[in-house]
Amino acid sequence: MSVDMNSQASDSNEEDFGVNSEEEEDEDDGGEEEDQVDIASYYEGVASDVEQQGADSFDPEEYLFTCLTYKESQRVLTDEVNTVAAALKVSPAVAKLILVHFHWHVSQILDRCKSNSSLLLSDALVQPSSACRSVTAPQSLQCGVCLQIVRRDALLALPCQHSFCKACWEQHCTVLVKDGMGVGVSCMAQDCSLQMPEDFVLPLLPGEELKDKYRRYLFRDYVESHFQLQLCPGADCPIVIKVQEPRARRVQCSRCSEVFCFKCRQMYHAPTDCATIRKWLTKCADDSETANYISAHTKDCPKCNICIEKNGGCNHMQCSKCKHDFCWMCLGDWKTHGSEYYECSRYKENPDIVNQSQQAQAREALKKYLFYFERWENHNKSLQLEAQTYQRIQEKIQERVMNNLGTWIDWQYLHNAAKLLAKCRYTLQYTYPYAYYMESGPRKKLFEYQQAQLEAEIENLSWKVERADSYERGVVGGEGELSASDRGDLENQMHIAEQRRRTLLKDFHDT
Amino acid sequence: MSGLPRRITKETQRLFQEPVPGIRATPDEANARYFHVVIAGPADSPFEGGTFKLELFLPEEYPMAAPKVRFMTKIYHPNVDKLGRICLDILKDKWSPALQIRTVLLSIQALLSAPNPDDPLANDVAEQWKNDESEAIKTAKKWTARYAKEK
Repeated sequence: MSVDMNSQASDSNEEDFGVNSEEEEDEDDGGEEEDQVDIASYYEGVASDVEQQGADSFDPEEYLFTCLTYKESQRVLTDEVNTVAAALKVSPAVAKLILVHFHWHVSQILDRCKSNSSLLLSDALVQPSSACRSVTAPQSLQCGVCLQIVRRDALLALPCQHSFCKACWEQHCTVLVKDGMGVGVSCMAQDCSLQMPEDFVLPLLPGEELKDKYRRYLFRDYVESHFQLQLCPGADCPIVIKVQEPRARRVQCSRCSEVFCFKCRQMYHAPTDCATIRKWLTKCADDSETANYISAHTKDCPKCNICIEKNGGCNHMQCSKCKHDFCWMCLGDWKTHGSEYYECSRYKENPDIVNQSQQAQAREALKKYLFYFERWENHNKSLQLEAQTYQRIQEKIQERVMNNLGTWIDWQYLHNAAKLLAKCRYTLQYTYPYAYYMESGPRKKLFEYQQAQLEAEIENLSWKVERADSYERGVVGGEGELSASDRGDLENQMHIAEQRRRTLLKDFHDT
Repeated sequence: MSGLPRRITKETQRLFQEPVPGIRATPDEANARYFHVVIAGPADSPFEGGTFKLELFLPEEYPMAAPKVRFMTKIYHPNVDKLGRICLDILKDKWSPALQIRTVLLSIQALLSAPNPDDPLANDVAEQWKNDESEAIKTAKKWTARYAKEK
């Protein structure tokens, strides 16, 4: 059996070379000369090197980012705050609110400032809009919140002139900050959403501890609202990732090594996009599929509408509640079914049986979901198993080097192969949610084709990695080395799998 | 904790002295922060003729945090769920410390006059309200007669 699979695999391998070269040519039409050179050398040299592969063509996942410490990111923010504060002639605290509102698009703010600066300020909720400026001086000396009469100088107000007593402002800010609010503390008046700048809030907060908390929340909100910054999602990790252009790309924290998608801060998920992966994970997590199961595996009695699950093979059903006899297939009265029962599939055409077609649809939907989910899960499990293989390989390399059987460099290819395998399979796993939500059509056909190609090459690679792993057990036994051609074969396979992966990502990821 | 904030005392007094038409709110004998509320179903609404019992609780942070309000009487309304919880913006993100018990209850009364199926809490009810309003109103009237008219 395994021998068969092997020969099959290598057959398809040869075919793939053909297809592969075609695709590469397509790529070249895109116009990168380097590609051609690389591909040419690839076809000459069977001994294509891992190093060479690294330099190969263009990487659809390439993404520039920098990891900033707390201080560095503070500096980035402060620079922008100062620019805006100077240009708009507002305090830094107010400038921060404006920046948050416009997601720190500094040039956009400066442009808008030139055209209409008062509109800019009211849009950012730091100045009352001219429409609601009706409130002037405080009409009474009663605080509208605690309903107490206070001295005029104990009343405080934002530029909207909604005055309340200092004690109430203090309480208001304390409650909201304790609740985790940073930016977004607003005026207490009803229907007034004027934002409170930090230099208004800070003196109102009792105690250093709460002030510190507030500063932390502010920093979090500044980073989160900044279109080029993202906090590392790693536990208690203070690193901020900075990019030029925000995209759904893979970034890795330099401190805690957390890998995530820059846009949604979730597990990296190419080729699926952020919204789709969220939908997929929720779908997998919640029990909406239970409902789907019920609708797929049960039907309602056509007479009394009680829900019935079929527990036997016979299609002649008798409702246990109303004793109605009917046919499970067409839900028609059993009386009309004589010996011609098997013909009742023709009733499907009958518009009366909407019910039945709904069942069929639900069943079809469940089947489709399970199809994709099974593959998604399966690759997830494979990833875990291959992680074990990787561990084993690592240990063996260690052992080998200790026993003077080659050096670290000699065994690197095996280490690289196992790592590449994990990378490819990870992408493959995330192609399934993508395919699940894809509408059928030529594009889905192309996607499924490339997915199948990738899958075939990954299984091939996985097989070869495991084989190399077991060969080495032989080596320990004292029998020669893994032959050079086997090593070449493995490296070849690595290259093919990675090319497949890149082609798929290039064509389908975030275009 | 410290005694009852002056604001609560004042509000309670005012509710008693100048009651809102169609609304009665009385503080619990044992807890001045807990109110027994009765709202009369507004005229020209499917809830007309019914009297709806609610409970209202002022949390420790009140008025910085919104009061908690819940229907005790069963009601067929797209913005009230099976447990009587109410979907009303001023009870959540639109809360302002300048609002009062009186304004909250008035808003709930208004919600009875104008159900808002586009911002639902009870999905099935909202669905019905959107698809077949006359049928939904019929059900609401039936529920009012059944649950909100006991003496």
